[in-house]
Amino acid sequence: MAPKLLSSTNFKSLFNSVDTFLFDCDGVIWKGDTLIDGVSHTLDLLRSKASSLSHSGKNIVFVTNNSMKSRRQYAEKFRSLGLTSVTQDEIFSSSFAAAMYLKANNFPKDKKVYVIGGEGILEELHLAGFTGLGGPEDGEKKAQWKSNSLFQHDKTVGAVVVGLDPNINYYKLQYGTLCVRENPGCLFIATNRDAVGHMTDLQEWPGAGCMVAAMCGSTEREPIVVGKPATFMMDFLIQKFGTETSRMCMVGDRLDTDVLFGQNAGCKTLLVLSGCTSESNLLDENNKIEPDYYTSMVSDITKLMDSP
Amino acid sequence: MLNRTTLVSSSSVSLLPNSKPFFSVKAFSGFRSSSFSGGFIRRIDHKPLRVMTPNLTPRAMAAQQLENADQLIDSVETFIFDCDGVIWKGDKLIEGVPETLDMLRAKGKRLVFVTNNSTKSRKQYGKKFETLGLNVNEEEIFASSFAAAAYLQSINFPKDKKVYVIGEEGILKELDLAGFQYLGGPDDGKKQIELKPGFLMEHDNDVGAVVVGFDRYFNYYKIQYGTLCIRENPGCLFIATNRDAVTHLTDAQEWAGGGSMVGALVGSCQREPLVVGKPSTFMMDYLADKFGIEKSQICMVGDRLDTDILFGQNGGCKTLLVLSGVTSISMLESPENKIQPDFYTSKISDFLSLKAANV
Repeated sequence: MAPKLLSSTNFKSLFNSVDTFLFDCDGVIWKGDTLIDGVSHTLDLLRSKASSLSHSGKNIVFVTNNSMKSRRQYAEKFRSLGLTSVTQDEIFSSSFAAAMYLKANNFPKDKKVYVIGGEGILEELHLAGFTGLGGPEDGEKKAQWKSNSLFQHDKTVGAVVVGLDPNINYYKLQYGTLCVRENPGCLFIATNRDAVGHMTDLQEWPGAGCMVAAMCGSTEREPIVVGKPATFMMDFLIQKFGTETSRMCMVGDRLDTDVLFGQNAGCKTLLVLSGCTSESNLLDENNKIEPDYYTSMVSDITKLMDSP
Repeated sequence: MLNRTTLVSSSSVSLLPNSKPFFSVKAFSGFRSSSFSGGFIRRIDHKPLRVMTPNLTPRAMAAQQLENADQLIDSVETFIFDCDGVIWKGDKLIEGVPETLDMLRAKGKRLVFVTNNSTKSRKQYGKKFETLGLNVNEEEIFASSFAAAAYLQSINFPKDKKVYVIGEEGILKELDLAGFQYLGGPDDGKKQIELKPGFLMEHDNDVGAVVVGFDRYFNYYKIQYGTLCIRENPGCLFIATNRDAVTHLTDAQEWAGGGSMVGALVGSCQREPLVVGKPSTFMMDYLADKFGIEKSQICMVGDRLDTDILFGQNGGCKTLLVLSGVTSISMLESPENKIQPDFYTSKISDFLSLKAANV
């Protein structure tokens, strides 16, 4: 069915059929480190138990594929942008998802995890009781290729987790490649595979999909993906709210992660055009992913809630 | 999502090497038997032929261990050799190589060297051959760095457009020799970026092609630059020198190869590149054309199934796998392996020893 432009006529039915709104972050709440206009007010209004449309307020969670920060670090980012009501329990980052995946699959505590990605992944691994290697500090390392020297890697690494890494370099690719190819049973986990993202407000930058594909190129293996559109994180959300996914609405700016995630899990989906997807991308005949609704930005919700 | 090989041109794979009688088998699906010509025969000792239960998918004809080197040598005019794992390993020459090459030249065979390694130019490879005591001319060497420049020449890539290079010196030197303007290369490995509000990375709108190959100085700056060119410059080409997953930079172990850097750009651009190195037949077509050789008169000798042997098969040549490099006999015989060369042997100097045994 063709996506409906969100309007005062259809907004009420969406609002009443949903108890929980899931928001993506990059391109929806902020762009890089710049808050998108009107977001703060909209979130407050949605939570409010005294709005004209609802007396119980809506649940709000944030589901982000950006693995650079941990949930705790994201909560700090929200606070620094003035969104002080957001707590870390409401944030589901792919860094958290990676650690939870290992926990859920009983990854042995005596094995290590090699990380090609940011501090966020290392912090979440540590919180879950796992030993992480690599991460940002390996961005300083250089490989040596001399006849008599071997590039060493820890044989106890049982998983390589790959996420967005602006400090990607040959050393990390080689380390991760040796672990996956040579350590028996080594897992290859991707936090997500987004091709590009708004790492700064002015333009898009290569996303985790780039680092993950680099590793696919050298290992000749496909990874286990824990972030959107995989529905792994949805299990945590269902547990947290005890509601059906049909009473949830995923709000995001990307069709092949946010909207697909929502659809795969059976949620309603709302695409915002404040991020990486334009109206022409959405309506292009080659596009096969159709959200239930679309609107220009999150703050449109405020206008629609206030309208008679 | 992963699509590792892109053929520039494809030729039909010939299952029968050529019309001369050969120590080989005819391709019947599921059957494996000793030599025969044109029909199904009983062996002289009256024991039934070993027959395997036919399965529905046609099996590739199993590789034969090379026994009669002379016959192979006499049946072709040109030998194409891969370098890493065939001629040398890292910086060490493999045993018996100089004598083997000399013998082939004495028999009037043309020798060509085709390598996916794009770190050096042909000239630099010429020097490496010289240092190792081998009598090889620069004109006989075809590295994927050369292939990238040759490809751009073949499509009349405009001289007023630029090429952004994610790769090493070899590519830069070859582009320079071919008269193309380039940007990037190892120097961009020193560039850092800071992702902060208000920062915008600019890129040259005149870049008409991005060439990606093995790059030990790979970083986020280069990935972004290449991505911006491919996504935003209309008609910008995305060319890969090769997609080898791993490579033997040192003889002691494997190292992440060009397939990694190319994979990264595929991940951010969501586009497949045009591959000029093996197993794409671009280099085969180029040298067949340049030297006026019939492909059926060529034997490709390599150590890697998914690049060297596939390259030879795609080009319609005979193929010989040597076990002196990355492929072991168990890998060749593994049920997961779908690529069967015509022949295999331990190293190229077997041409000398096997020949001697038959005298």
